[in-house]
Amino acid sequence: MFETRRLSSKIVLQVILTIMVLPFLFPLIAMVQESLAGQGWDNYRVVWDTGVVPEFFRNSAIIAAGVIIIVYALTMLAAFGFSKLHIRGREIYFWMMLAALTLPEVVLLTPLFSTAIRLGLYNTYFSVMLPLAALQIPFAVLLTRNFVNGIPDDLFDAARVDGASAARIFWRIILPLTRPIAAAIIILTLIGAWNDYLLPLVFLQSSATETITLLPSYFVSEFSDDQTKVVASAVITAIPEIIAYLCLQRLFERGLTAGALK
Amino acid sequence: MSSAGAGTTVSLARQPDAAAGRTPPKGWGHGPRRPSGLPWILPAFVFVVGLVYYCIGYTGYISTLTWDGVSPNPAHVGFANYITAFGDPVFWDAIRHTVIFFVVTFCVQTALGLTFAALLHSKVKLPNLYKVIIFVPVVLAPATMAPIFRQIFSATGQFNTILGDIGLGSLEHPWLAQSSTALPVIMAITIWEWTGVTFILYFAAMTQIDTEILEAARIDGASGLRILTRIVWPSVRGTTIALAMLSVIGALKTFDVPYLVTLGGPNYATEFLGTFIYRISIPQAEVGYGAALSILLLLLALSGAVAFGLRGMRRN
Repeated sequence: MFETRRLSSKIVLQVILTIMVLPFLFPLIAMVQESLAGQGWDNYRVVWDTGVVPEFFRNSAIIAAGVIIIVYALTMLAAFGFSKLHIRGREIYFWMMLAALTLPEVVLLTPLFSTAIRLGLYNTYFSVMLPLAALQIPFAVLLTRNFVNGIPDDLFDAARVDGASAARIFWRIILPLTRPIAAAIIILTLIGAWNDYLLPLVFLQSSATETITLLPSYFVSEFSDDQTKVVASAVITAIPEIIAYLCLQRLFERGLTAGALK
Repeated sequence: MSSAGAGTTVSLARQPDAAAGRTPPKGWGHGPRRPSGLPWILPAFVFVVGLVYYCIGYTGYISTLTWDGVSPNPAHVGFANYITAFGDPVFWDAIRHTVIFFVVTFCVQTALGLTFAALLHSKVKLPNLYKVIIFVPVVLAPATMAPIFRQIFSATGQFNTILGDIGLGSLEHPWLAQSSTALPVIMAITIWEWTGVTFILYFAAMTQIDTEILEAARIDGASGLRILTRIVWPSVRGTTIALAMLSVIGALKTFDVPYLVTLGGPNYATEFLGTFIYRISIPQAEVGYGAALSILLLLLALSGAVAFGLRGMRRN
């Protein structure tokens, strides 16, 4: 984009870029530093020895996996239906679903709360999983429908001529061909479910169900006078997220740009 | 705002054909032979629309009550809760904060994202390292980062130490404890968290710009800045509009950062609709009032999305 043929301009650009990313790096460095203040590595040992960290991780993993399964299954079915099958008044159905995209979670709190209590779902994984999935599906359907639109109709015609049923076409053509968009959706759903805070805050009340986003608050009440341990617990939660991102960097980035590029 | 929301508006604005219903129905074959798609969309439709619309309807009903959430006989009060909302200074504060928050975070993120994307398209060394640094905040949960941000901006925190170190000690400040600086800190944290998305979208959009045009402009002697403002900026307009819509909805959904870093304070200085509704509905158990505020928030979010979505479509 910018001229980089002369050495001087190359160096200037590099320096500008480096200075600009420093503020992005700073909180992460401060975080590691702070977690080692006071008792040093012992902060981590104390946090780990409470034994709740793996439990919170397990809860987050179960919830994220559940949300991903629901979102993936329902999205694929719906995208196929919307894109390639006959539905009278299809755009009405589509827009009714899309309207849910704008919905802030906080709007759902009271109804979900009283419903969850009535159905005995309060403080269970489902009380977080189901609303999270419902909020993620509209966007996933939007992306996948656009993707399936790009698959040529000839392919389906040929399969039909050979006598394949819609279910067979879905299984043999749609599922394999939508893998790239499916990966993007899984990553997006994972970030959304893993990082969600409000629903777990309201619906999960014991360390048997609470997710890792609640871990800092848990340790704030545990170690009220010792900020360094709270930060150490935050580092422990951040590390797997960073590793996951580094390993799947392309997928993460593609997941977020999936909507912008065809 | 959830990460999943990140792409949301992007495709709403960029791919209006599929969404707007302007395209003729697609499907293989023609005529009545096409199998019905209704059974296929039904599970997702019933699940999403059922849950969401049921909740909205329920919230709408609760908004006409004075209720603590548990008492068996809530009083019906009609639109009294809405009238309370319009007379509540905190409600207007929250709206004002949301507007300021949207304008500032959107402008700064756009400027930063665009600059980063342009710089990283300029054959610098170690591009992936920079990319990772900019993008890592996106994958970290705001809830995970909140404790360290509280620490950094506290009176004895690292931010003040740095100010002292670079000779700006006179600016040292209890950043979160003072009304005038708490909101800027909340915005700064949000910008830190979300610039990665802006960057990655602009970065992707820029790969689609014809390099010959850039080359021609450069031969004609256009400076880097001129190329950025005259060629790049207009060609990534679709992304910018999409990001604007994303930011509007994101601003209206703001909850995690102000709740965890400042609890909406000091003195409501960082109160947003999300934190306000939460505080009213859960700790204060004024469920009816909270529901009325929720409905108002929903109307704002819908009209924001429609306004930007329609603009995006007209452009296309």
